[in-house]
Amino acid sequence: MTVLRLENVSRWYGNVVAVNGVSMTIGPGVTGLLGPNGAGKSTLIHMMGGFMAPSSGTVTLDGEPIWRNPGIYRRLGLVPEREAAYDFLTGRQFVVAMAKLFKLPDPGAAAARAIALVEMEYAQDRVIGKYSKGMKQRIKMASALVHDPPVLLLDEPFNGMDPRQRLQLMDLIRRMAAEGRTILFSSHILEEVERVAGHIEVIVAGRHAASGDFRAIRRLMSDRPHQFLVRSGDDRRLAAAIIADGSARAVELTDKGLRVEAVDFRRFTWLLPRLSREAGVRLWEVSPSDESLESVFAYLVAR
Amino acid sequence: MVTGTIHDIGYRHYEGRRLGRGYVLRSLYVHNLRAAWGLGRPARAKVMPFLLAAIMLLPAAGDVAVVAITKEHDLLWRYPAYATYLQVVIAIFLATQAPVLASRELRFHVVPLYFSRPVGPLDFVLAKMAAMVTALLALMATPVTVLYVGGLVNKVPDAGGHLLRYLGALVGCLLFALVLAAVGMVVAAFTPRRGFGVAAVIAVIMLSSVFVVTVQGIAEAETNFTFAGWMGLFTPFNLVDAVQVRLLGAERTAVAVPPAPLGGPVALALCAVLVLGSIAVLYRRFRKGADL
Amino acid sequence: MPIIAAQGLTMRFPGVTALDDLTFAVEPGVVGLVGANGAGKSTLIKILLGLLPASAGQARVLDLDVATQGGPIRERVGYMPEYECLPPDVSATEFVVHMARMSGLPPTVARERAADTLRHVGLYEERYRPMGGYSTGMRQRVKLAQALVHDPRLVFLDEPTNGLDPAGRDEMLDLIRRIGTEFGISVLVTSHLLGELERSCDHVVIIDGGRLLRSQPVAAFTAASGVLSVEVEEGRDALGHRLAAAGLTVRPEGRLLLVDVAGEHTYDLIRDAVVDLELALVRMEQRRHHIEEVFAAPQAPPPQAVPPQVERTW
Repeated sequence: MTVLRLENVSRWYGNVVAVNGVSMTIGPGVTGLLGPNGAGKSTLIHMMGGFMAPSSGTVTLDGEPIWRNPGIYRRLGLVPEREAAYDFLTGRQFVVAMAKLFKLPDPGAAAARAIALVEMEYAQDRVIGKYSKGMKQRIKMASALVHDPPVLLLDEPFNGMDPRQRLQLMDLIRRMAAEGRTILFSSHILEEVERVAGHIEVIVAGRHAASGDFRAIRRLMSDRPHQFLVRSGDDRRLAAAIIADGSARAVELTDKGLRVEAVDFRRFTWLLPRLSREAGVRLWEVSPSDESLESVFAYLVAR
Repeated sequence: MVTGTIHDIGYRHYEGRRLGRGYVLRSLYVHNLRAAWGLGRPARAKVMPFLLAAIMLLPAAGDVAVVAITKEHDLLWRYPAYATYLQVVIAIFLATQAPVLASRELRFHVVPLYFSRPVGPLDFVLAKMAAMVTALLALMATPVTVLYVGGLVNKVPDAGGHLLRYLGALVGCLLFALVLAAVGMVVAAFTPRRGFGVAAVIAVIMLSSVFVVTVQGIAEAETNFTFAGWMGLFTPFNLVDAVQVRLLGAERTAVAVPPAPLGGPVALALCAVLVLGSIAVLYRRFRKGADL
Repeated sequence: MPIIAAQGLTMRFPGVTALDDLTFAVEPGVVGLVGANGAGKSTLIKILLGLLPASAGQARVLDLDVATQGGPIRERVGYMPEYECLPPDVSATEFVVHMARMSGLPPTVARERAADTLRHVGLYEERYRPMGGYSTGMRQRVKLAQALVHDPRLVFLDEPTNGLDPAGRDEMLDLIRRIGTEFGISVLVTSHLLGELERSCDHVVIIDGGRLLRSQPVAAFTAASGVLSVEVEEGRDALGHRLAAAGLTVRPEGRLLLVDVAGEHTYDLIRDAVVDLELALVRMEQRRHHIEEVFAAPQAPPPQAVPPQVERTW
């Protein structure tokens, strides 16, 4: 069980506070680190990867501090966002070099394994300068996997990938998580995060805004009524019945159906099918419109 | 009865005229000419060009003043010599402004935005060259004109001869502008990194000059004046002076010029090759830089 | 009349085929282009702009032949590049006016249209400041403005939401939709994000490894599948059994129950079962397909999938 723990971590550059008192625990499985541009995600990942020391607070892996602890690097793999400047090496040379850096007993075999894992065998003898963006990402991943680390940190890994490459990478991440690894990846593209991450951590302007399953987070936002779209056989009749009850604050008749703002989520979801049956109105569709990661995220950023 | 109106401020289509190639070329030319003088850009872009222009004028103004005071009409400098006397200032102007015209759009990848419009690479290059040539011409011709007018005002003798020499010097200025623009723009277009362009242009002009002068010195010490003369073709200011001396009847200002009868035509041909060659090179460079 | 029509379009570079026998036609509206890797996509745009002759095949843009009428095409088309292309020391207004004039607009018209276009894309006082200090969102807007200022009939937007955060992305997608509908200008958008394309496009063209994978309206990709997703706060399994007992085909998926629609009564059955079991109904909606499913089919990467890296000169 490899657990990354941040306790009250801050990082500043002069007056600019990139990370502000963040505490979080990252365990096995896939965790998505979300936040708007410039929120501090990259800084956090680099601190977790041992590339930067926190200005205050502690960053530990299984209890051991990460900064200036060479032994720990063997357990971490970091894939940074910036392009690595090794355009003149071939893919295989690059990964083998990384393997040698880690003083692995059989660098060639480890490299071959890592390259196979990211499905880059067909291009391993081509110079990295000639790779596409997606290919460069994958070879960087291979270099971060070559020493088989239990913890993998990925900074914006899907950047610039086309859909097929993205699906492949998502599969890869899921497979590695299934092996028991701890994987953290950052992104500001929510539709990617939604597919892979079971658990999210949200950073807004350097502060830790939320953590957990996004649906659970949504339930916690009691100050925001839940939005629903309801299509029925008789929208008006249903609207009147809904308003008569107290669980909805507003009901709007639109050409797409009824838009309901439910202040009491539990009551409304229990009530709606009941009201329809009593009124003899058929329900065609019940859709929560702000249950998505996107809405949750928008609400968190706006606080 | 009270009335009100809401006006439609939504998107409007444009069904009017779209002006053709001539207009676009002219606009591009004017835009680049303004950029060469720092107009239309922040204030600090204007400092160098205008400062250099002022420095160019000072000696001419000074000379005219001296002539006026001493009444020694021989002290009025020869018109074709001015550019060579002030070659350092002109070279600095070229070095600071050629990158503005030739490499900014390459550095910031703006070129594709032009070529995705009805602007072809040839028009693009021609407009820029013309703008650089005009800027250099203005830089050099103004002080020469000051000298000429100063001479007129001070009633120097042989007004007709002076006029002829003045016009000849203007042609010389045009040649200087063409050759320098050619060299400068090509060097700048291949050094888009910040600051490198300036250094590279200065290096090319000054180093070639130093190299040639050194070799000419050695040659003259060996009394090989012919060789010294032909060497002069390898640096821009000397090259154009060769044309001025051999084909425009000016007095020699450079160290040495190639001998008649071949010296003049060869020098002129070399100028033409430089200018046309640079247009071709720039054309290819911008086409490549337009990779979407 | 299709705004873009390609017939057997092929582009071969030494060692790699970037585009392979593409044939498709797109009606006016908002079209998404997806899947093509970097080289294939930019190659296609260059060919459609008439800047690069294809190795084989034909293409017509706005019913003009790309091989012979490149100039007229470029007069009527706008292009918004993916990468940074704005000089830092010039203001947005100046830049867009200059670009308008480069498209042949007379000076007064250029000024007026530049001002109007900048307003439409959402740039207000910022437009007078040098662009070096702009945020990514503002820069994308300026790039969009210069593509629209000369009133093109078609614009190519290359990854317009690149680098934007979710809010910015929403705004850009809304703007794109407006351009296609309100402004009456056809749009070709490229993107890697299929969710975006589903939201903003009428039609999607998918290119995979240089070959055409699909070209069809979005509605065809996202057709209803005849299956309902049902989500209840608790008691999913009890509901599942109840519905199965009532004769419906039910299977679980994650937190959801998927129920095949047997007829109109299916909806009532579900509603009534939920009420009878005293459950809370969170969701009951038609399950739609997604564009992404097209990619999920396993396909070995063909050797041509490696793009040529055109030598970078900058």
